[in-house]
Amino acid sequence: MAARPRPASAEARDALRDAMARLAAGDQAALEEIYRMTRVKLFGITLRILGDRKEAEDALQDVYINLWQRADRYDPARASPISWLATFARNRAIDRLRTGKVRGGSVGIEEAAPLPDESPLADALLVDAEQAAQIHKCIAGLDERTQTHIRAAFFDGQTYAQLAEQADVPLGTMKSWIRRGLQRLRACLEASEKA
Amino acid sequence: MSGADETIPENAGPNDVPRDDPMIAAEWALGLLEGEELLAARGKYATDPDFAWRKEWWDNWFAPWTDDMAGAAEPGAHVWDGIAARVGGQQGAGSGPVANPSALGSEVIELKARLHRWRWIAGLSSAAAAVALALLAFAPGNAPGEAPPQIAAAEPMIATVPIGDTGLRLDVTYIPESERMLVAAIGLTADGVHDHELWLVSDDGSAARSLGVVAPGEVRSMTLPQDIAAQMHDGARVLLTREPIGGKPEGIDAGPVVAEGAFTRV
Repeated sequence: MAARPRPASAEARDALRDAMARLAAGDQAALEEIYRMTRVKLFGITLRILGDRKEAEDALQDVYINLWQRADRYDPARASPISWLATFARNRAIDRLRTGKVRGGSVGIEEAAPLPDESPLADALLVDAEQAAQIHKCIAGLDERTQTHIRAAFFDGQTYAQLAEQADVPLGTMKSWIRRGLQRLRACLEASEKA
Repeated sequence: MSGADETIPENAGPNDVPRDDPMIAAEWALGLLEGEELLAARGKYATDPDFAWRKEWWDNWFAPWTDDMAGAAEPGAHVWDGIAARVGGQQGAGSGPVANPSALGSEVIELKARLHRWRWIAGLSSAAAAVALALLAFAPGNAPGEAPPQIAAAEPMIATVPIGDTGLRLDVTYIPESERMLVAAIGLTADGVHDHELWLVSDDGSAARSLGVVAPGEVRSMTLPQDIAAQMHDGARVLLTREPIGGKPEGIDAGPVVAEGAFTRV
């Protein structure tokens, strides 16, 4: 991962953290600030998972309305705001994928509207770099096949059944592969926490 | 997911990984759970601190991957308009961020959110300070916006009723001001022969009052009648009895007590 100018990133994080705190206290204006800072990143996530612009926009709307209704759920002791918001957006998109009729998948380039110049902070709002390095290191320790399937589940919202079909293996085999991979991933991540 | 197709591969083979709670939390975080398994996981998240902790642990570790889903597109302007309309509409109606006209549903959700916070207080003291801050944000008087008064003012009480040594438990939460009670029986399964009925033990030695039959595997919200609500207090005891299907029949003694607990103010 390329190094990014620290000041911009730190500033963006602080601004977001501050806005989240004000939101939890019921400040409606904070929601608009959070939207401005995070919409591009979160839209990237819902679009990737849902593969449909309209659905992705609906999911995005859902994310922010939900955030407003239950801003108190965010626990600053547990995750950075952007990490939490990104996870939240992805989870909502996956929910939509699982309960709706949407077809997931990658998005064609024609779906992507150009970014305005002010799209700014989105880029500075990367999840903690150290944490990113660790998960990448741990995932790289898995065999290639398992890596591919776990990534497909995360990035494309694929189910066990879809993964098994694509790999042309029995469902149970795919589950075993992934579970074994997750078990090793957990061991690696836990070891890094103790280090 | 019928499960029939996976019985053999999942239970056979020396190489197979045990599918314990941390594993289910990992599968959920990755987005692999569907249908009933997904619902069960959500319920467990609301009531089982260890499980919730592990789910967030995975979420946190996977979060950096979202950087690679890089935003290359701008959502349409109508997205924010829609959000502003919804949010502004709620404000205009004079309610706060949590309060919502469809009170029951949102209240259950809000209660779940609170349960979620309490686990920090109850279980992880290192995070207690952060939680106290979060709770203070909702205290009346110090919020720039309108904090939801019915939640902020009510000090909830919770009773944990462990079921024997099964590791399963019933979580009963009571919000005094709303006289609303939430019974979470996640993990319990119906045996088809019995129901379990929850009772509030009276302080004055009179007969225990029924709080209703427990719905296995579900989180249920109910409003207590005033005379029962009047008896709810810190330390109030609850019992769980085993009864025929449908609960204790009229005119017959209650069945054996299988579990008990007491309310604690959180």
